[in-house]
Amino acid sequence: MFKFAHLADCHIGANRGPVLEKLELAAFNKAMDICMQETVDFVLISGDLFHANLPDMYVANEAVKKMKEVKDAGIPVYVIYGSHDYSPNGTSIIDILDSTGLIKKVVKGEDVDGKLRLGVFTDAKTGAKLVGISGRKAGLERNYFEILDRECLEKEQGFKIFAFHSAISELKPEFLAQMDSIPVSLLPKGFDYYASGHVHKRTESGFAGHERVVFPGALFGGYSRDLEDSAKGEKRGFYIVSFDEKVEEVKFMEVSVCDFGYFEYDVSDRNSMQAKKDLMEKLSKIEAENKITVVKIKGELSGGKTSDISSGEIRDLMKENGAIDVIINRYGLTSKDYVSVKVVGEDVPAIENRLLRENIGAVKVSLEELKADKGAKLAQELLKVLRQEQKLNETKKDYVERTQKHALNTLGLGDEG
Amino acid sequence: MALEISGQIIAGKTGQILAREKAGGEIEIGDLLVAEEDDGGYVILQAYELVYGSQVPQLVRELLAGMKLEGMGTNLDFLEPQLRNYVIAQIKALLRVCKNNELKIPKTLPKFFSTIRHVAEKDLLFLTKPGSPVYLGKVRSGSKVLDVDVYVNGKDMLTHHVLIPATTGRGKSNLVKVMLWSVLAQDCLGILVLDPHDEYYGRHGKGLKDHSAAKQSLLYYSTNPVAGTNTLVINLRSILPSHFQGIVEFTDPQHDAISLYYNRFRDQWIENIVRGTDIGDAVAPRTLEVLKRKFDNVLGVFIDDGGDFQCRSGVFSDTAGLATTREIANALEDGKKVVIDTSRLLDEAELLIGSIISGGIFHRYQAYKSEGTLEEKPVVSVVIEEAPRVLGADVLAARGDNIYSTIAREGRKFKVGLIAITQLVSLIPRAILANMNTKIILGNELAAERQAVMESAAQDLSSDDRTIASLDKGEAIVSSNFTRFAVPIQIPLFEKYVEENLQPKEKNKTVFVG
Repeated sequence: MFKFAHLADCHIGANRGPVLEKLELAAFNKAMDICMQETVDFVLISGDLFHANLPDMYVANEAVKKMKEVKDAGIPVYVIYGSHDYSPNGTSIIDILDSTGLIKKVVKGEDVDGKLRLGVFTDAKTGAKLVGISGRKAGLERNYFEILDRECLEKEQGFKIFAFHSAISELKPEFLAQMDSIPVSLLPKGFDYYASGHVHKRTESGFAGHERVVFPGALFGGYSRDLEDSAKGEKRGFYIVSFDEKVEEVKFMEVSVCDFGYFEYDVSDRNSMQAKKDLMEKLSKIEAENKITVVKIKGELSGGKTSDISSGEIRDLMKENGAIDVIINRYGLTSKDYVSVKVVGEDVPAIENRLLRENIGAVKVSLEELKADKGAKLAQELLKVLRQEQKLNETKKDYVERTQKHALNTLGLGDEG
Repeated sequence: MALEISGQIIAGKTGQILAREKAGGEIEIGDLLVAEEDDGGYVILQAYELVYGSQVPQLVRELLAGMKLEGMGTNLDFLEPQLRNYVIAQIKALLRVCKNNELKIPKTLPKFFSTIRHVAEKDLLFLTKPGSPVYLGKVRSGSKVLDVDVYVNGKDMLTHHVLIPATTGRGKSNLVKVMLWSVLAQDCLGILVLDPHDEYYGRHGKGLKDHSAAKQSLLYYSTNPVAGTNTLVINLRSILPSHFQGIVEFTDPQHDAISLYYNRFRDQWIENIVRGTDIGDAVAPRTLEVLKRKFDNVLGVFIDDGGDFQCRSGVFSDTAGLATTREIANALEDGKKVVIDTSRLLDEAELLIGSIISGGIFHRYQAYKSEGTLEEKPVVSVVIEEAPRVLGADVLAARGDNIYSTIAREGRKFKVGLIAITQLVSLIPRAILANMNTKIILGNELAAERQAVMESAAQDLSSDDRTIASLDKGEAIVSSNFTRFAVPIQIPLFEKYVEENLQPKEKNKTVFVG
C-alpha cells in the first residue's frame, strides 16, 4: 500500500502581521512533519503553495528549509502553480525551486492539432501517474480545460491523479457563486483521484466518472474570510490518501496551530454610541486568552457613523483580554446616516465585484471588453495586479516594470495577451 | 406596377365582409388582402371563410351536373362560367394604415365595392424590428410566405407572458428554439428553459450550443452533462419548505412536521427528515415515515445500508451543488439563457427545480423593485412545458398556488414572465390565460382547445376557428398586445434558420503556460 499527501492553498507569505505569519509557517511545518511521520511516498500540492509568485524572502526561506527536510527524507514534492504563485513567464519561486530539484512541477503540455495534450509524470516509487493543469489568474486556465485532449488521458492506464487549481462549479460554496469555475465535465474521466485546490473550503465529493474530487481547503488561511471560517469551526489540514491499484482510504489530517474565538454582533436598531457601548461590554466578557479572535460586526446603525465603532479600541480590548491576534470584519456594517454606496458582500473581492458591476455602466467606452461584466472582471483583475507590493530587494525600476508587464498582460496587451 | 386584383367587396357587415373572388384570384383561408382607399391609405383584411356563389339557380346546376354525369351532354358547360360561378370570401378588416402611416383599428367598413388584392411586402413596412427583438418567423398570407420578418419586442412580450398552444407535432419546440436562438446574444433578456425532452441545447444535433454567443450567454445543466457543461446538482440545503408549495401535496400533520424540522434544523431539514432524526413526540413516527417516503419518491433521496445519504438521480446532494441555484439566478440576472435538461427526472422533481430557481429569481426581483433598482435588470422569463401541470385549474384547486401561478398573476410587476407551452389550454383558468398577453397559436384539431385560445386572445379571433384548425406544421398566428393585429406567420425550420444565421465562432490560439 502506498500513501500520498494532498495539500493545497498553503498561501505562504499571505499574512503580514508577525503573529499570523508565524502561525502560517507553523501550519506548513506541521503538515510537512505529519507527512514525514506518516512516511507518505510523495506530497502533492495543488497550487498556491506561496501567496505570490515572488514571495517575501524570509518566509520563502523558512518554507524551503522545511521542504528540504522532506526531500532529504526521500519524499518527493510535486506541485502545480496556483492562481497566486503563477507566473506567465516562468519566473515564479515555484520555477526556481523546480530548477533546484527541491520540488517537481507536474505540468507539461503541447498543442496537438488544436488540442492540449498533457504530459504524464510517473512517480518512480509508486508508479502513480500525475497530470496537472496549473491555475492562472482570473480563471484563465479554463481555456486549457476546454481544449484539453481528455480522451488521450482517459486511455492512460494505471493509478492516475489529476491535479488542478480551479473551483468546480458543482462544488463551489454558495457564497462563491460568482467565482470563476469550471464544470466537472471538463475534467478527464476515470482518474482515481482529482487533487484540487483554489477553493479554501474543504470538500470531498464525487460524480459519475469523477469519483473522488477533493479540495483540502486552505492549510491555514490567506484571507480574513479563511480565519473567520476557522473561527466558526472549519477544520484546516490536508489529506493522506492510501492507494494500491485504486484508492483505499482518504483521510483528513487536521493541522491546528492555534485556538480561535468568534464573536458576531448585529448593530441593527442601535445608534453608533449605543452599539459601541453594548459591543464593548459584551466583548469584555468573552474568553480570548491565547486565541485568534474574530469579531464580526454587521447590520445597519440607526444613526451615527460606522467609524464611531473603532476597530482600534476593539483590538486593544481583545489584546487586553489575552487575544494573540484580532481580526475584525465590518464589511457588513452600515449606517442609515452615512450610506453613500450600499454594498452587500461577504469579503473584499465580492464587494469589489459588486461595486464594479453596479457602477461600470457609468463609464462610457466603446470596447466590448470594457463593458458590463467583462469590464468589471477586467477592472478587478487589474486592481489585483496593481495592488501587488514591491518585493524585498526588488528595485523600484524592476517593480514598476514587473507591475506594468503584469498589468499589460491582464489587459491582453502584453506578450501573454 | 399595379398589383393584380383578387376580388371585390360586394356586401357584408363589420367583421363579416363579403367579397367576390376574381376568377383565378386564389384567395385562401387566412389570406391577407388589401383594400385601397381613396385617400391613399389602405385596409388590411383577412379571409376566414370561403363559400361558392353562382348566378345560376341551384336546380339548373343540379340538372346540368346530372346530364354530364349520366353522359347526356358531356360538352355542356356554362356560358361564361367565370361570370356565373365564383367564390365568395368572408373577410374581416384587421388594420387601417392611413396615408401618414398611422395605424388604426378599423372602425368603419372599407369602401363599398372596392377591389381587393393580395397583400404585398410594401403593405407591411410598418412591421419594423423593435428593441430587444424576438424573431418569430415571416408573415404568412394563407399558405404563401412573404419576405417580411416578424419580431416582437422581447422585453414587452416576455414580461407579459407568452402562451404557445398546439397539439403534438405542430412545431412548438421548433418555435421556442427559433425564439431562443434569436435572443441568445441579448443580455436584456434572461430565459430559464426547463427542458423535459433535452431538445434545446443540441446534444445530438443542431441546437443553441451552435450559436456564436453560446459560450458567453448559454448555460446548460444536465444530470448527464456533455464536456464543458454543468452537472445538474442541487444541494438539499438550497431547498426550503416553500419550494414544495403547490408542487407536492402534504397533509396538515405533514406540513406541521416539516415546519418543526425546518425550525429545528434550518437548511438541514430534509436531511434530518430522511435520516429520521427523532425530535420527540411532536411528530408521529408514522408521519415521519410518510415524509421519508415522499422525499424518496420526489427527490429520490434515501439513506443506504451504510447510513450514507444517497440520491438516485444524482440531482440532489448533501455535499455538491451549493452554488447551483444562485449561479443560475445570477446568470439569468445577467441576461443569459439557462437550459436545464430535466429529461431524466420525474415530473415533480422537474417542477421542484423550476420552483426553486424561479422562486429565487422572483423574490430577488421583488427585492430589486423595493430597492428601486428593478428598472436596470433584464427581463427574466421561464419556459415551462406542459403548463397545466402547474397552471391547471384542478392542480391549483387541489394544491393551491405555486410559484408559476404566482408569476403568471404578479410577475409582470417584477419583470418576470412565463412562456407556457401546452396542448390543453382549456385546463388553464381564464384569469391566468387573460394575463398571457401574447399567444402564438399553432395548429390544433381539438375544438374545445381552439375555443379556449380564441376566447382569451389579444385580438378578436372569434371567426378564426377554421383558420386555426387548418394551420399546418410551422404555421402560426401571433395574437399579442404588442402586435397591431393577429399576425399569421410561418416559423422557419430551426435547422434551416440556424444554417442561415450561423456565424463563425471566434477561435483564439491558446498558448499553454504550465
